[in-house]
Formats: sequence, C-alpha cells, structure tokens
Amino acid sequence: MAPKSKTQKETPEEVVASEADVAMTEPPTSHQPAVEDEDASMKDGDPFDDEEGQNAEDEDEDEEEEQQRVKLLPGSTPTAASFEFLEEGHTLGNALRYIIMKNPDVEFCAYAIPHPSEAKMNIRIQTYEGTTAVQALEKGLKDLQDLSDVVTEKFKASREEFAARMSA
Amino acid sequence: MDGYEPMQTMEEDDHGPVIKISQADSVRVKFELSNADISFANSLRRVMLAEIPTIAIDLVEIEENSTVLADEFIAHRLGLIPLNAEGVEHLLYSRDCDCDEYCEHCSVKLTLHAKCTTEENMKVFARDLIPSGDRINQVLGSPVISDPDGQGSLLMKLRQGQEIKLECIAKKGIAKEHSKWAPSAAIGFEYDPHNKLHHLDMWYEKDVKSEWPPSEYAHLEEPPREDEPFNYDAVPSHFYFNVETAGNLPPDVIIAEGINVLQKKLAGLIHELSEEGKDGDYDGPRSPEFNGGGDGWGQDQGYTTPGYGAGGNQSAWGGQGGTTPYGQTPYGGSGGWGQ
Repeated sequence: MAPKSKTQKETPEEVVASEADVAMTEPPTSHQPAVEDEDASMKDGDPFDDEEGQNAEDEDEDEEEEQQRVKLLPGSTPTAASFEFLEEGHTLGNALRYIIMKNPDVEFCAYAIPHPSEAKMNIRIQTYEGTTAVQALEKGLKDLQDLSDVVTEKFKASREEFAARMSA
Repeated sequence: MDGYEPMQTMEEDDHGPVIKISQADSVRVKFELSNADISFANSLRRVMLAEIPTIAIDLVEIEENSTVLADEFIAHRLGLIPLNAEGVEHLLYSRDCDCDEYCEHCSVKLTLHAKCTTEENMKVFARDLIPSGDRINQVLGSPVISDPDGQGSLLMKLRQGQEIKLECIAKKGIAKEHSKWAPSAAIGFEYDPHNKLHHLDMWYEKDVKSEWPPSEYAHLEEPPREDEPFNYDAVPSHFYFNVETAGNLPPDVIIAEGINVLQKKLAGLIHELSEEGKDGDYDGPRSPEFNGGGDGWGQDQGYTTPGYGAGGNQSAWGGQGGTTPYGQTPYGGSGGWGQ
C-alpha cells in the first residue's frame, strides 16, 4: 500500500522507498495528511492526479486480494513493538495480553481498542534483550493455544466423570 | 526461554486449570473453572456468547400473507426461531460458497403454508416450518422443538380465511453479526461470591448482608472473617459458568465449540504470521532477522543477525529513517516514531 500522505510531492526515489519498506513508513491509522499539503497538490494539478489515480487503483487491488489481519505499527524496534489486529477485540486481546505477560522474557505487554467503532485491537510488547517482540507475540499465541488445549481436555475428562457419577 | 509453563501459576504441585461440573442436562451445564486467569475465563465466555457458528433464517420470501401481521414483522420473528445446528460445521458460509445466492451447500430451505378454515383461530407453530430439499443431515435446520406438546415456538395466529405462505432460507452465521445466531440463551458468569475483591459496589439502605441474598455459589468459598483486612494482591481464580442452550446445540457442545473457535482464531493468526515470514513481499510484521536469510519465524538467532546490529537511529525496522516519505511528514524528525 502506498503511504496515505500521497498528496505530498513525491520524487520517484521516494515512491520506490515506500514500496520497499511499507510497514515502517506508513503513518499510523490516526494519521491525517496535513491540510497544507493537500492544498499544495491541488494547485499543482494534473501531473499528480494521474499518479494518484494509479496508486489508488493498486491499493484497491491489494486489499481485494487478501486482507492482512496483523500489522506492525510504525516506530517499532526489535524488542519493543506495537501490533494492530483487525477484526479482533477484548476476546483475544485480554487473554493474549495476560499470556504474553506470563512470559518472563517480556518486560511489558498491554492491549487497547483505540476506538469502539473500529474493529481494531492494538497490542504493545516490550521484551528484555535475548528475544524479540515478534517472537514473544508468536509464543503468546501458541501458549494460549496450549492453554485452550488443556481446558478442552479437562472439560472432556470432567464431563465423562460427571456422566459416570450420574449413571452410577 | 521455555523455563515456565504458561498455564500454570508459580505455585508448586500445580497442574493448570481445573474444571468441575456441578450440574449437566440437555439444556444447561453448570461448571466451575478454577486456577485460570479472569482474562481467559472471560474470553471463553465472550466466544461462547458471540462467535459460535449456528444456523438461522436469513431470507424470507413471502408469497401470500393475509394475516394481520406485517411481512417484515413475520420475517423478523422467523429469524429468531432456533434451528437445530447439528452438523453446521459442514455447512458453508454463503459468502464463501461458489453459488450465486444460496444453494444446498450453504443454506437450508424451509417452507410454511397455513390457512385457517375453521371458525376457531388457528395457531401456527415452529413445527409447521417444513425443511425441504437436500440437506447435509436429516436434522440440520429443523426447528428446535423442546416443549412437551411438540409444537415449538408460536409464530402467529390466523383467523378464518387468513393464509400465510412463505419460503425461508436459513444460513450459517455467528451472533456477533446478529444475535439470532446465538447458541446460548444465556451464559451465567460469576466469581468471588462474597465480594471479597470489592469488584462490586453493592447498593444498600441499612445493611448489605441482610439486603442482598447470598450467591448460589457462596457455600463454595470461604466467607470473609469480620476482622479480615482487605487483600490488595488477591485476584479472582474461581469462575462459575452456567451455560444454557437455546436448543440449537447441546450445552456441552457449546463449551467445546467455544474453545474450538478460540483455537481457530489463534491458529489463523499463527498461520498468518508464519505465512508472511516465508513470503518475501509483505508489509506486515516480520522478524527482524528475516532479511538475514533465515527461514522466517521462530528460529532463535537472537542478536547475531545483521539486522540487529544496526542499533541507534537506523534499526532494521526503521528502514531508511529520514529518507522515507514518512520521515518528511509533519510528524517531522529524522527517524519517525519512537526514536
């Protein structure tokens, strides 16, 4: 995806750079292009309009192909990163936050739903040296899966035991 | 890094979550989940409430309606009728199906035709909804009938001469989209029956104890002593669930499915993360060592990969820092965020 601040004057080099490293350069979702820039590009007129039109088309195509549900937010370093999950909420967020915090290599983990009418959930992870935030996230997901496995087993065992007790 | 068990607390002789079933029949299961965190217990509650797929009437085509009730009123009422969801896992979501609108792979067709010919008013029940066409199994999509008379929910009443003729399309869905797809009528969720944690501020006139009846689960936990000081470190650990079904799925299946949905959610995310790790051209999260030639995620190369050494204002994540367009936004600075 092209940066949302595409109304800015862009030299060709910059366009290439943004395609190569999109996740880092993309402004946060709350980012709105500055008004002055927009005015400037409007005055410039035609030459930019064509390019913008193409960019917009490319963007649409990408989104249609497959929606990416996890995104790394800008400003992340290996040991301190923020992730944005689409179509997730408190159901996953709180449990994941808890299980990631259980990891002794994790210094800090928190989640937030920035706005109730946007189906987005952000998780911030900061780890101690020796592991990365991405690894901590992945480990958290797997740990939560293991926990769910255990609860499934325990529930099945408990159900059988209850059935046996009832029929006895 | 793996020197701990995530599902266990730090205490010894601890074998993770414990489940005790106290009551179970065809409509409800009451169980106690202990030695688990409230965040997990709440995830389980939320997922059972809103994300278990079931089947419900979604489209109604009315051919004849001479009743006193408006078409849309009847259509809404039909949507809320619980339908048997056994085998719904083999049914496709209509949006994922290859067909144009709906077909036997993604829907169940039900028809209703009733006409009152007697002087006495006629009652139309859910049992009068007749499934037709091919189905995945013989019960999927049939109206739930759990009353002793075998009638099901009352849909409408007809006076002499009035007629209703319609065709319903039942589709798969989840309660997050519309509560008609909820498998459970209600999910009871309770912890800390003596309110020792003060998560509740119970309103009273003169005396809390005499004005609030004790919880159903009060006898399972030690009541606080009169002189007991408030424990600031206490966290809830025993959760009392009461899962009652609307009839579309058996209650124990709701619980098993709930965990299953949660598992699938996690598996989907893990899959997406690892898929992206293999694919060189994606703009999402990736491990910093990805460019170092590793096979994506999960390998433990730590700080030895080139990406890590960069440090300072030019971490591997930061890319070209100030040279990217983003660096020139009004957000200014040379390194963008967090630097």
